[in-house]
Amino acid sequence: MAEAKKKKSWTRRAFIGAGVAAGGALVVGIAVRPGNPTDRLSPLVAKGEGEKLINAWVKIDADNIVTAIVPHVEMGQGIFTSLAQMLADELDADWSKVRILEAPADAKYSSSHIGREFLAPNLEVPEILEPTVSGSFLSLATAMTLQITGGSYSIRGTGQRAMRTAGAAAREMLVAAAASEWNVPVGELRTENSMILHDKSSKSATFASFAAAAAEQSLPAKPKLKSPKDYKLMGKAIARTDIPEKSNGSAIFGIDADLPGMKYAAVKAAPVVGATVEAIDAAAAKTMPGVLQILNMGDFVAVVADGYWQAEQALATIQATYSKTEGDGLDQDALFTRYATMLDEAGDTDGDVETEEGDVGEAFASAATKVEAEYKVPFLAHATMEPMNCTAWVRDGKCDVWSGTQSPLMARKTAAETTGIDIDNVAYHNAYLGGGFGRRSEMDVIIMSTRIAMATKYPVKMIWSREEDTMQDHYRPSATSRFQGGLDKDGKAVSWSNIHTHLFDPQEAPTVPYYNIANHKIRKIDVPTHLRFGPWRSVDHSQHGYFIESFVDEMAHAAGKDGYAFRRELLAGSPRHLKVLDTAAKMSGWDKPLPEGHGRGIAFVPSFGTIVAEVAEVDMTGKKPKVTTVYVAADPGFAVNPDGFAAQMESSVAYGLTAALYGEISVKDGAVQQSNFHDYPILRINEMPDVVVEIINGDHKRLGGAGEPGLPPLAPAVTNAIFAATGNRVRELPLSKVNFA
Amino acid sequence: MRAMLRASAPILVIALAACGTDPAPEPTEQIVVREPGAAAVPAVETEDSLIAIGKAAFNTCIACHGIEKGGANKVGPNLYGIIGQAAGAAQGFGYSEALTSSGITWTKEELDRYIANPAAKVPGTTMMAGAITDAGRREAIIAYIDEVSAN
Repeated sequence: MAEAKKKKSWTRRAFIGAGVAAGGALVVGIAVRPGNPTDRLSPLVAKGEGEKLINAWVKIDADNIVTAIVPHVEMGQGIFTSLAQMLADELDADWSKVRILEAPADAKYSSSHIGREFLAPNLEVPEILEPTVSGSFLSLATAMTLQITGGSYSIRGTGQRAMRTAGAAAREMLVAAAASEWNVPVGELRTENSMILHDKSSKSATFASFAAAAAEQSLPAKPKLKSPKDYKLMGKAIARTDIPEKSNGSAIFGIDADLPGMKYAAVKAAPVVGATVEAIDAAAAKTMPGVLQILNMGDFVAVVADGYWQAEQALATIQATYSKTEGDGLDQDALFTRYATMLDEAGDTDGDVETEEGDVGEAFASAATKVEAEYKVPFLAHATMEPMNCTAWVRDGKCDVWSGTQSPLMARKTAAETTGIDIDNVAYHNAYLGGGFGRRSEMDVIIMSTRIAMATKYPVKMIWSREEDTMQDHYRPSATSRFQGGLDKDGKAVSWSNIHTHLFDPQEAPTVPYYNIANHKIRKIDVPTHLRFGPWRSVDHSQHGYFIESFVDEMAHAAGKDGYAFRRELLAGSPRHLKVLDTAAKMSGWDKPLPEGHGRGIAFVPSFGTIVAEVAEVDMTGKKPKVTTVYVAADPGFAVNPDGFAAQMESSVAYGLTAALYGEISVKDGAVQQSNFHDYPILRINEMPDVVVEIINGDHKRLGGAGEPGLPPLAPAVTNAIFAATGNRVRELPLSKVNFA
Repeated sequence: MRAMLRASAPILVIALAACGTDPAPEPTEQIVVREPGAAAVPAVETEDSLIAIGKAAFNTCIACHGIEKGGANKVGPNLYGIIGQAAGAAQGFGYSEALTSSGITWTKEELDRYIANPAAKVPGTTMMAGAITDAGRREAIIAYIDEVSAN
């Protein structure tokens, strides 16, 4: 199949959504240049007594503790542990003596491999050119202040390309230092459990004893990485290092920031995005206990008080009037009508062509069986467990900001731009994130809290109420997608035509290059709305997984074929894809009959480098669907921490099922109607299906992501199962809108 | 490969511009009520009556329940006038089936048993909070709800 033609219009959001990770090539970049940046970096990360920075990502202290410096944030995905595993394995470190430090928000820890992975993922470069290429990407990536955790990229980008290389480089430097001191050939030395051993002379020494000498060694140009048979830590289900502190409550999240003299701010933005606050009546608020300041910030109102509750209570009494905007008066039904009208107008030819091959018009016209369908999905909010928050202190030409963000370096840059203070005098302090899902890649809270702190001059912690969080999110877009599919007389798919609203990211999300369909054409139209879009776990795959896999199922049904068998035909010739599909079917006992009123559905979506097939079983005998079991087969190339990978699949099922069953943000009079968990419900524990995960390590050289790829197949597996059980084809989410009585 | 790099550069420049400076407007109105540490507005003197204790104790409930007449339902239903009503009576609130089919009439005694442990009294209720173990606090809260509704 020819390479898909794609129109690319990169935006900052597209970039984040594509999921560039941080930290990639710095070590590689350094490795091919003279000198080692440890002099510059040590004051940032190795200030302790006896600590020695070996290269940008590894330090060793006098007690032989190895610290892996990871340029990613921990938001519950377990990335600290997995990245440290990768580094420690290549270093031959003793895992019990490995510690983890989040890299500071500093440009030196941003990465070129982000750019490499994002812009030219398949670019094969001769070794001799690697330094040039990496160097170019490094400077670009640094300029873009990329230190982002997202796009399921941390392990396959940073881990694979930087953390392993850093560990291997540090190991070679330690060995070289020991060889020089002991006057033995490098080849006679081996490393194990943070020790260097010379078997011939029975000499041994700790890493720590050679840390200082190692840091003086030149960086190896191409450190040798282990092959899978030599992995000691990678591929092992090592317990996450953040479990104890998150179990006993000592873990510090952004919302836990605490400073002497700190006050609290509650905020309320104009309900219609884009409106300004024209006037406020704060007569009652001024007299309320604890209130310090009342601020009309133009786009939002803030009350600063001694306590958060006092600020919230006072804010609730403030009456505000807002400017009129173009978004006023818009309702959700009218928005879907707008989508429909524009899709109608696009007809068979207009819109932006994303991919095209063959002649869909001809193939569809002459098809023996024609299938057509339209699907709709709503806006979705992120609903992170930790409400959005940020603490800022602006004084004497300095600015300090505390939060939990997916992009620490951008947060620092944003604070500098907002305050007008030179970035060298701006410090950003990141903490654990109580859920991210893409929401914490946005900079709105950083901007708002620094603006409040500029007005007060004392430190202020701004916390959004759950209502603000729900009503002022950057949403997964609502969307409509239409399909036409053609089958020949044998029920073989011969044409696939799709037109849909919006394209955000990843660019390949609406495409199906892995399915053998000779003629296909995929188009999109842009329908502007005033609501803010933002990356939401799996981004565009979240809606296109549902659209595509629902329509594949409809085609299978029209062809008189089983959904699994039909997909097998479409994947013929792709053994790695087939293995994943077959595994999911086998796990579920696909051919075994189910009781009356129960159904089984299958869906297959490769995304973020990982191939995933899911089979859902639903019980439709009650008033609403009950998903009983989800079988997940996934091939991420190689699962560095199988337990962590499986956990990501499980949480994708929980997050995806929440959206499929209940997730709906709708607009009325231009404002979001939902406000809290009573009208934007989250899956309850009794609704959580059993999740069975099987991991296939299909290609250890080319890793895939974990955080997102489990999500896209979930909704269509469930709706396909509902169809199998009831004959009721669900073409609009969420399921709570469907009457199954 | 070189062509790739050249093609990439303008894209990155655009992206860089897109994450550029947002203006940081100052407040259009800044009301400084007092400086930190300055004497606070004197709090309303607290009474020692059961109803005053109940009003204070009701702060635990207020995150989910309003109690003003005609007030909106929040995460939980508005509680104005609840005493004497049948369970599941607040207009427009999505009760659990367990509660609506419980057959309970909210006498003070029934309410007391419920808020002592909602999940035990009505298995399947969606009321996640509650479980006020202190009988005195329950009595005060119920007295406060009754008082507000009577006015």
